[in-house]
Amino acid sequence: MAFFVKISAPCSLAGHGTTSSSSGSSRSKRGLLLPVGAGAGAGAYGGRQYSDVVPVPALSQAQASSSGGRLRIFSGTANPRLAQEVACYLGMELGRVKIKRFADGELYVQLQESVRGCDVFLVQPTCPPANENLMELLIMIDACRRASAKTITAVVPYFGYARADRKMRGGRESIAAKLVANLITEAGAHRVLACDLHSGQSIGYFDIPVDHVYGQPVILDYLASKTICPDEVVVVSPDVGGVARARTFAKKLSDAPLAIVDKRRQGHNQSEVVHLIGDVRGKVAVMVDDMIDTAGTVSQGAELLHREGARAVYACSTHAVLSPPAVDRLSSGLFQEVIVTNTVPVLHHRTFPQLTVLSVANLLGETIWRVHDDCSVSSIFQ
Amino acid sequence: CVMGSEQVRVVVEEEGKTKKRMGVAEPRSAPPAVWTPRAPAQEARLAALRTDGRDSRLKIFSGTANRPLAQEIASYLGVDLGKVLIKRFADGEIYVQLQESVRGCDVFLVQPTCSPVNENLMELFVMIDACRRASARSITVVIPYFGYARADRKAQGREAITAKLSANLLTEAGSDRVIVCDIHSTQALGYFDIPVDHIHGQPVILDYLASKTISKDLVVVSPDVGGVVRARAFAKKLSDAPLAIVDKRRQGHNMSEVMHLIGDVKGKVAIMVDDMIDTAGTITSAAALLKQEGAEAVYACSTHAVFSPPAIERLSGGIFEEVIVTNSILLPEHKCFPQLTVLSMANLVAETIWHVHRDGSVSSIFQ
Repeated sequence: MAFFVKISAPCSLAGHGTTSSSSGSSRSKRGLLLPVGAGAGAGAYGGRQYSDVVPVPALSQAQASSSGGRLRIFSGTANPRLAQEVACYLGMELGRVKIKRFADGELYVQLQESVRGCDVFLVQPTCPPANENLMELLIMIDACRRASAKTITAVVPYFGYARADRKMRGGRESIAAKLVANLITEAGAHRVLACDLHSGQSIGYFDIPVDHVYGQPVILDYLASKTICPDEVVVVSPDVGGVARARTFAKKLSDAPLAIVDKRRQGHNQSEVVHLIGDVRGKVAVMVDDMIDTAGTVSQGAELLHREGARAVYACSTHAVLSPPAVDRLSSGLFQEVIVTNTVPVLHHRTFPQLTVLSVANLLGETIWRVHDDCSVSSIFQ
Repeated sequence: CVMGSEQVRVVVEEEGKTKKRMGVAEPRSAPPAVWTPRAPAQEARLAALRTDGRDSRLKIFSGTANRPLAQEIASYLGVDLGKVLIKRFADGEIYVQLQESVRGCDVFLVQPTCSPVNENLMELFVMIDACRRASARSITVVIPYFGYARADRKAQGREAITAKLSANLLTEAGSDRVIVCDIHSTQALGYFDIPVDHIHGQPVILDYLASKTISKDLVVVSPDVGGVVRARAFAKKLSDAPLAIVDKRRQGHNMSEVMHLIGDVKGKVAIMVDDMIDTAGTITSAAALLKQEGAEAVYACSTHAVFSPPAIERLSGGIFEEVIVTNSILLPEHKCFPQLTVLSMANLVAETIWHVHRDGSVSSIFQ
């Protein structure tokens, strides 16, 4: 947890969009050292003094280079604000890229600065409109590949189609999460940085390295900054599939007790609550999930918790997909607070008084730096 | 304004007797035909369908981009469209489930990747993946209109080549073969690492023009220098008509500018030929030039009716005698106008599917 001590408590005005955490120390820009090949030098300038091979002005110019080395970050159109925050954390500018749409809906991407030999990070959640944002990411990857980027890392804060991770009815269906993994690899990505994939198994769909980061520490830091007595807290998983996630969360929240809403799903995007496993009477319930989509699951869970005597209900989720009718359900008074992150941009018309949006920019920025520097990513979460 | 075009071509083909494999059950006989076959080739094919067990393994599915075309294709082949559930979740993600078995089948997926291009493309990928996981023997994607076909080269530095990317993605999703119609540049066929059958809407349009009585002298016009080869092939088949070219310089994407005419159209009927009409800037500016140069009337012929805004306003402005397109892209009602004629290429595509399925020659359709 040492890393997150640096993040000051987010002071969010409820319902006013993204909370910006204070920036950690800025990364110093390192100069670019010109390689000196003695053998090649001797061959090219046979007989000349070694000291004449590299003129001093060129070296000075390289050291003064404004590019800050070989790290480049570009943003798609899905969440440019998050990408800007990430770049600020790393003390650099976002790369310039032109993305536009032709009259017939086809996308066009052109990088407007050189990426030759660079480590390129493309920040693009594949949130709704999922297929547009996915295709844009694929075209950006292809553009970087053809522009001779050395490595291309797709930074996908929210991974669309992540829930399509198995054949549900055993019938003639696609496994779209695997398909998307294949498409990203085929387009030319060398690595993927994903945040809170719906199931950990999806990482295995990729044939390229995947760094899986979690929004949980950001939310935990925020909760720790609030004055909720640890004895009063119960962590609740809104479904049986998310118990492992909720359990991890509860352990880090002063080893709080756990409760589970046992629900049976009747159909896609339909929910039904059966009963509560555990006890929440007189306590503050903190519901934990990886995403809030139509908010059916989390709303019915909250209703049940209130019936079972919970004093207040908080909803915590990394991904705020908020498909209709999510906002109506979440703002109906069931929740004391709804805490999400900005992996998916929360549009203004989807904000409501109880909503708190935290930023994962510092987390992503730190991860990008470690990936670029070939340092450990796992140690962020220890 | 839709006119079906009879595009049946009888291929003289001596089919050897099909030997039934040991232990293969006799397939249930096909239900009696509910419609009248329109050509001898269809009668022969229907007879083959009833007796040849292998042909019961032909399955045609349609995405949501152009169901009427897929239905016409299936009707021509005397089969029902395969049942498939395609829906969208609340967050826009696409879900596909095949509702009949495709195990061991030759599956043909009919889906033009027209606008909304990324939705239709992703839907096609998910369909391909579903067929692959459902143990289809072969998966052929039938793409009457190939979106991103014009993104076939780097016009400037640091760009993608999205046509190549689309080809890679189709292969990665699991398709075994592709049937495309009038792809923008034939070089794009080389982007695929799987077999591609490239068919043309030209015969459909030529048949239609032949059925009209245009008494004036004809001249075939290419609206840009890139399409001269296409126009020349068209002119040869239109009683070896003369050719003219509009030399234009493009100022920016989807912007056009006309320079001047190469050739003579004075007192003649001009037939402009292109593979697609998108915003109609090119073809409208060219038509204006042809009128200035004394053309009696101007027809526009194109396989793909992309018709992005403001195409309809330009095309219906009175400069064209007729705008002749095919149904490779489904045209909604609000994109029809009085001068528009939509021809059907269902028979042509169906004939190609039949040849592919039976491992016959596709090129012979166009000779």
